[in-house]
Amino acid sequence: MAGIGVQTKNVISDEDPSEGFRLLKKSGFSDADFSLNGYLLNTDLYRNTVNKFFDRSITELEDFFAPHKEAAKKAGIAISQMHMPYPVYIPTGKKEINDYLWNVVAPKSMQICHFFECPYIVVHGFKLARYLGSEDAEWERTKQFLDYLAPMAKEMGIIVCIENLYDSIGGHLVEGPCCNVHKAAARIDDFNDRYGAEVLGFCFDTGHANLTGIDFESFLAGLGARLKVLHIHDNDGISDLHQIPFTFTKTRENRSSTDWEGFFRGIRKSGYQGTFSFETAPVLSAFPSGMAADVLQFLAKIGRYFEAAAGC
Amino acid sequence: MMQIISIIRSIIEPDHPGQGITDLLRSGFDSAMLEFAAVCMPGELENVGKPYLKRTRYSAAAEEPKQLAGLMKALTEQGRTAGLTFPIAEAPYAAVDTRRNDLADRLTELALECIKICGAQGCGCLIVRSPKAAVSPTAEEEESGLLWDVYRDFYLTLAQTARENHVTILLENQCREIGGHLVRGFCADEQEAAARVDELNRSASERYGPWSGREEQEADGPGPRMTGQPDNYFGFCMNVGTCNLCGQNMYDFATALGDRIKAVVLRSCDGSSDASLLPFTCVKKGQPQTDWLNLIRGLRKIRFDGCLIMDYADTAAACPPILKPQLLDLAKAQGSYFAWQIGMERMLERYSSRVLFGAGNMCRNYMKDYGAAYPPLFTCDNNKALWDTDFCGLTVRSPEALKSLPPDCAIFICNIYYREIEAQLKDMGLPNPIVYFNDEYMPTFYVDRLDSVTRKYDGQI
Repeated sequence: MAGIGVQTKNVISDEDPSEGFRLLKKSGFSDADFSLNGYLLNTDLYRNTVNKFFDRSITELEDFFAPHKEAAKKAGIAISQMHMPYPVYIPTGKKEINDYLWNVVAPKSMQICHFFECPYIVVHGFKLARYLGSEDAEWERTKQFLDYLAPMAKEMGIIVCIENLYDSIGGHLVEGPCCNVHKAAARIDDFNDRYGAEVLGFCFDTGHANLTGIDFESFLAGLGARLKVLHIHDNDGISDLHQIPFTFTKTRENRSSTDWEGFFRGIRKSGYQGTFSFETAPVLSAFPSGMAADVLQFLAKIGRYFEAAAGC
Repeated sequence: MMQIISIIRSIIEPDHPGQGITDLLRSGFDSAMLEFAAVCMPGELENVGKPYLKRTRYSAAAEEPKQLAGLMKALTEQGRTAGLTFPIAEAPYAAVDTRRNDLADRLTELALECIKICGAQGCGCLIVRSPKAAVSPTAEEEESGLLWDVYRDFYLTLAQTARENHVTILLENQCREIGGHLVRGFCADEQEAAARVDELNRSASERYGPWSGREEQEADGPGPRMTGQPDNYFGFCMNVGTCNLCGQNMYDFATALGDRIKAVVLRSCDGSSDASLLPFTCVKKGQPQTDWLNLIRGLRKIRFDGCLIMDYADTAAACPPILKPQLLDLAKAQGSYFAWQIGMERMLERYSSRVLFGAGNMCRNYMKDYGAAYPPLFTCDNNKALWDTDFCGLTVRSPEALKSLPPDCAIFICNIYYREIEAQLKDMGLPNPIVYFNDEYMPTFYVDRLDSVTRKYDGQI
């Protein structure tokens, strides 16, 4: 039986994490995707603003997250994946901020991931193609960053996962880093060969793939066992909405405008046996708070449907 | 040599083509794409074999492919007489959301007929989209890759006739439709597309022998030939609008397909709804919604020099007829602009020595990407304060220094006040070639810009 997970963002509070984890369990989830990125917001970073959260020592950070870890354990929820704060490099940002992201936020994120006994951490690749000229040149910079993380990952038994991202051209969302499955597979293999261990894997984001018209089936099949975690969410093919699967249609026939059948076939072909994890935090702010439990239950049920449809 | 080609939809009426042909020629287009869909539309194909439906004057070819030549006759004959050439054509195709799955034979007949017409017209390339209305694949077929088997057989069926008529068949990247959402379809994956073109060429060569172009075989063909591009049974047409709908990285797309790309369809859309709009017209908050940067970078990198097809059919359809000549002028100017941008590096190669005019950001960008391969002797600037200083490894001189240049040394204007500077240089009576350089679509960029007052910059990449 596969795990069914969801983001902790908008569910778990720092004041009383046990309440949120209990709610997740009650709703039918077995896993959680810990939203570490919620502690250093990308919107702030793009404004060249950095809060002090990661200034804490690792001991202080572990103390801060100890109640979360304990509450998850008590509720029977596995923290099976985590999202590192992003971006980890701002092309037009101040040098001191980029140095801080690289030298402080990233390694501390790895240590927090280890503290949670979480096997996967998702990182965003650098968005530099405009300046460097190509996705390949951009990857070389991301690779330097991953080479920095890989020894830590190997030592801690964590697999760092790269994710298919988008970029914006006049508000039109187009493919960004890691949207080419052939390159992604070769790059992951290269890392794991060089380190003699599984230090790099892939996080397939259904919403980003839908925005960039990616063929789910062939992408997932191409990843095969390199696929480690999922970010499942839906959108209208235009904006990154992070909504509930099956809710978007574009024609009078009202068929889903996202290729979920292709997703199931792709999951089958990849041999994926991991968690079906939803990255749908915005759903919880869109629905009235009084319906949070119902919404979470609905998501968990969709997760079970996914598990069955994908034959896991 | 890149050819700038116009579509004909909404420009030329096939059964009354005179005015459209004249308008195109007057705007400077000397070639157009022979779009067979103009007389055999997707909607007609959808209704094939349904006699109870209302017929239009263009139902005939869908029902009877041999009628295609007749329906295009006025256009091809009047075009040729007036001097309009047709270097490339496009076969009829089914709608992206077609419900037909029984048109395999009809699509084959139509494509074969198109090839013969192309052969007779001296048209060297025919775009043939995948015959999606030929099959309705089950999930299992799609999963096991059987769909490609069907498509491969379809294309190979065309190969012999294509060879006989010296017509290269171009596959094109296409969308498929999921509940109204257009996503990557046939040949949208660039690696897969490249592999398919190669596989088709190998198979066709094995069956029918190596490809031989018309050039070595005949000098008395019925029409003008395009220059050199068709060099095999199969090639590729990169449709920019389709790439845009699928949010693709067009640099990667172009460089993966490389010289298999014989034609590029330039069109704009919002990335969500399919449309053929004039480039640069689909914008949001002042920004284009098509990634022209990566497209031009990619085509410049592969040194593209095939057919550049301007597809602005929807813009033309919506344009008041009285304004159409001006629209065509703009479309032609855009085609020339793209050809110039794509060929920027070839333009630099053309001159054995060069100097720059301008000591600002454009000069800085020139030196970043092209300074090593095409080093200027110096740069000059009208700003006296900069004279005899160094900038990006170049000495900045007075424009007067240009008078001592050898006459074949080109002066590259690296400043957006092109026309003003060009007039200044001409007033100086310089015999040297004056060339516009441009840094809008450079292979790489600095993250920062030179401050025009402090003359400082500090990019960290």
